[in-house]
Amino acid sequence: MLKSWKLKEVVLMSLFAVVFGIVYLLFVHAANIWAAVIGPLAYEWMFGIWFIVSIICMYIIRKPGAAFLSETMAAAIEVLIGNAMGPRLILSGVIQGLGAEAAFALTGYKHFNILVLMLAGIGSAVFSFVYGYFVSGYAALDPSFVALMFTIRVLSGAIIAGIGGKYIGDALLATGSLRGYAIARAKKGDVNA
Amino acid sequence: MRNLLHSMNPSVKFVLVTVSMLTIAFFFNPWTPLLFWLGIILLQLTMSRINWKLWLLFMLLFSIGAFGYLWTTVVFGADTGGTVILSFAGIDVTDEQWARALSLAFRVMAFSTLSLLFAFTTDPVKFIMSLMQQLKLSPKLAYGVMVGYQFLPVMKDEFIQIQQAQRLRGAETEKRSWQRLLAMRRVLIPMLAGAVRKAERSAFAMEARGFTGEPRSAYYRPVRIGRTDWLMSGVFLAILLASCIGGSWMS
Repeated sequence: MLKSWKLKEVVLMSLFAVVFGIVYLLFVHAANIWAAVIGPLAYEWMFGIWFIVSIICMYIIRKPGAAFLSETMAAAIEVLIGNAMGPRLILSGVIQGLGAEAAFALTGYKHFNILVLMLAGIGSAVFSFVYGYFVSGYAALDPSFVALMFTIRVLSGAIIAGIGGKYIGDALLATGSLRGYAIARAKKGDVNA
Repeated sequence: MRNLLHSMNPSVKFVLVTVSMLTIAFFFNPWTPLLFWLGIILLQLTMSRINWKLWLLFMLLFSIGAFGYLWTTVVFGADTGGTVILSFAGIDVTDEQWARALSLAFRVMAFSTLSLLFAFTTDPVKFIMSLMQQLKLSPKLAYGVMVGYQFLPVMKDEFIQIQQAQRLRGAETEKRSWQRLLAMRRVLIPMLAGAVRKAERSAFAMEARGFTGEPRSAYYRPVRIGRTDWLMSGVFLAILLASCIGGSWMS
């Protein structure tokens, strides 16, 4: 899978992972404080933020694996920074990345419009929820409460990660620094280059 | 003795921590996570040298989260039956529900302690090197992550620089916290654009020095699995097994 990847694309993902790793950490701390007040529901509405790097990287690089690898890298970087969540974070990064990757794989890595990006956000939300259901023991909660958590997380994934990811990707494209990546070539209409 | 956790192979530690977490997740009685939690604290007390003040600070934060879990599970818990042991404000708390709530809260504590154990006793660079050498992570990815890690202090400086530059040109600083959160995009986009350029430059530099990203058989700094790792794996699994059996037996 990595054979077709240029080194600069891998390093790009890594540097994005650093930037978003820091953003993620800020939000983890914010969410932890919230969580004491309103319980696990606090994490749900901001969950989309934690999916965003996979969507931005896939939107820019457009190669199979971009979503999965970038999310995993972001988690790894968070651990390297000295995050107290440790290995648990890498595992959830892998799961979230796989969720987004699944959505792109479903569309054959051909379309990167807003709907597909939102679908990727939803994919991450669903995957991470199934994982959370198991690891955090949501089975002990009332089904209607679990349904509420699920709905909020899916919405957050679609809106914050999907729409937000596209917004950031487009803003970045406008700066002109993305020449040489798939996103700029696609804009020119030369998809095969 | 007090170096054991530090000198373990990071990949082995990583696998052990992950396996323990996934195993504990199957238990809904309060005793298993409690026993496991105590076991991990004991392990860390006897086999590591860490900054306990910092540890306590982190644990305090996690306890707050655990408390959130406790009360949500009590209030929004699934109907499990059992006898009512407490009722207030129209909510009946059964003994089953209370046990599950305690279990989830202890689970948060156990996982947090386990995570801290890993974070406090593992050298990040050694961890990536070990992932590459023991778990066959592609060198392209491993060194890619290392590049990002090395750029961390540079990114921090750049963040401050961009903020100062914007302030010089009269960009307003928002007073409300949610406005400040939204204004982050003003800093985020230049940061990311800078990241793209740095990525291109460092990838070019790596390739110019002959980095191909091919898997290799010899390393400058080999990370190995030794006797300590087998010993510690035994200790870890013993704690895990003891808390699983002990917990099921006590409840």
